[in-house]
Amino acid sequence: MAKPKAVVKKEKCLACGGCISVCPQDAILMISSKAVVNKGQCNSCSICVKTCPIGAINWEGKKDEI
Amino acid sequence: MKYDAVIVGCGPAGSVTARFAAEAGAKILIVERRAEVGVPVLCGEGVSQKVDHFKVLEGKRWIAAKMEGARVFSPNGTKITLSAEYAGNETGYVVYRDIFDQELAREAAQKGAEIMLNTCAIDLLKKDGKIKGIIATHFDETLEIEANVVVGADGVESRVGKWAGIQTTLKPYDLETCVQYTLCNIDWGSPYCDFFLGKQVAPGGYVWVFPKGKDVANVGIGILASLSESGKALHFLDKFIATQPELKNGEPLRVITGADPVAEPIQSVKDNLLLVGDAARQVDPITGGGLMHAIEAGKYAGETIAKAVEKQRFDTQTLSEYETWWKNAFGKKLHRNYVAKEIMLDMEDKTLDMLADSLKDYKFEEFSTLSIIKALVTKHPSLLVKLTPLMKLARA
Repeated sequence: MAKPKAVVKKEKCLACGGCISVCPQDAILMISSKAVVNKGQCNSCSICVKTCPIGAINWEGKKDEI
Repeated sequence: MKYDAVIVGCGPAGSVTARFAAEAGAKILIVERRAEVGVPVLCGEGVSQKVDHFKVLEGKRWIAAKMEGARVFSPNGTKITLSAEYAGNETGYVVYRDIFDQELAREAAQKGAEIMLNTCAIDLLKKDGKIKGIIATHFDETLEIEANVVVGADGVESRVGKWAGIQTTLKPYDLETCVQYTLCNIDWGSPYCDFFLGKQVAPGGYVWVFPKGKDVANVGIGILASLSESGKALHFLDKFIATQPELKNGEPLRVITGADPVAEPIQSVKDNLLLVGDAARQVDPITGGGLMHAIEAGKYAGETIAKAVEKQRFDTQTLSEYETWWKNAFGKKLHRNYVAKEIMLDMEDKTLDMLADSLKDYKFEEFSTLSIIKALVTKHPSLLVKLTPLMKLARA
C-alpha cells in the first residue's frame, strides 16, 4: 500500500509557513493564505505534521481530517 | 516597467530595504502577496528600544506598552531580572505589529517606493542564465517584473533564495514552532517581558508573556520543531495558562501561529540577488528575536543597493558589501548564540535551575556573555568543559 500523504486542514491553518520552511521536498506552497501540500512531491516524511503548532496537518484519509 | 530593485515581501526587512534605497533615489517596487501589509501578525511583538536609533518610525501609534526589562524563570521558578538596557533584543517595547509594519511601509512609500499587494512572486525572471527580475501572479494575471536587483524579504518560508540556488530549507532542529494568544481579562500588571523555561513548559524553547496593557498580554510558546508532535505547542501553551492564576481566566482576543528560524547565519548574496530578514535567517538563535536584525540589515541592504545603482554595477562583488556589513555588525553574535543554543538544549532542567540560582543575585552591570560565563564557572567549575567553546567565541 502506498504511504499516506500529508494534507492541510484549511479551516485550521493560520498561515505561519513553518511547514513550508522545513519541508525537505519543497512540497508545500502558501495559496491564498493557506498552506497546501503538493501530493505528488510529498514523501510522507512527517516533518510538517509534527511541526504544525496547532495540529492543522494530518495524514490523508484520516477520518477526522477529511 | 523596469526597476532598480524589486523586493519580495513587505514586512520590516522589505520595507526598510526599500526605504533606504528609495531615499537615495533608487526606483523600487515591493510586491506583497497578502491583501494587507502586516496582517495577519505572526510574531510575539517584542522589540528592543534600539529601534529608536534607526529613526524609521514616526509617532507612537505602533507602541502598545513600554517595558522596564525582562524576567527569566527557570524550570523551578527561580527568577532572573534583566533591566531593559541589558535584556537584549527582545524587550523595550511591546508593539502592534500590524501598525508597526504599516508605518515602515508608509515611510518607504513616502521616500518613493511603490507597493503592489495581492502579488505573489512565483519564480525568478531569467535571461541567458542571468537574473533579470521576477515572475509574479496578480489575481489571474501573470506579470514579468524587470529589475537590476532582486531582494528576497519573504520571511521564514523564503523561496526566493532557493530559486537562485541558496539552500534555505531549515532542519527541524533549527526552527521554533510557535502559537500565541492575545489574552484579555488577565491580571498581569508587571512592566516586564517574562520568559519561562523548562522541558515541561516548552521543550527546546520557552513560554513568553508580553504585556500590552494592564489586563491584556501576548501569551505564547515556541518549541523546537525537532521535539514537536502535531499540535504539541498549542497543547503545552493551554497547559501553561491553566496553571497560572493570573492568566487562567483570560479570554482570547486573537490566536496566531508563527515559525521562527533559529539557525546559523547563511549566504545572503548571490549574483544580483539579496536575502534580508528572516529569509536570511537573521534571527538570534537563543531568543528567536529578529525584528531589530531585519531593520538593521534592511538599512545596509538599501544603502548597498543605492550605491550599486549609482555605480550601475549589479554584480556579486558590489552587492557583497551588504553581507560583509551585516555579518560584521551582528553575524558573529548570531553564530555565538547558535553555539550557546546547542549547549542549552543539552542541559537538564536541574542544570538550568542551578544556573538561574547562581545568577539570581548577579548585578548585571557588565552584561556580556563572557562575564556571565565567568560568574558561572567560578561557582560551578564542572561547567567549564561545557562552556569552553562558548568562552572562546565570546573572547573572539
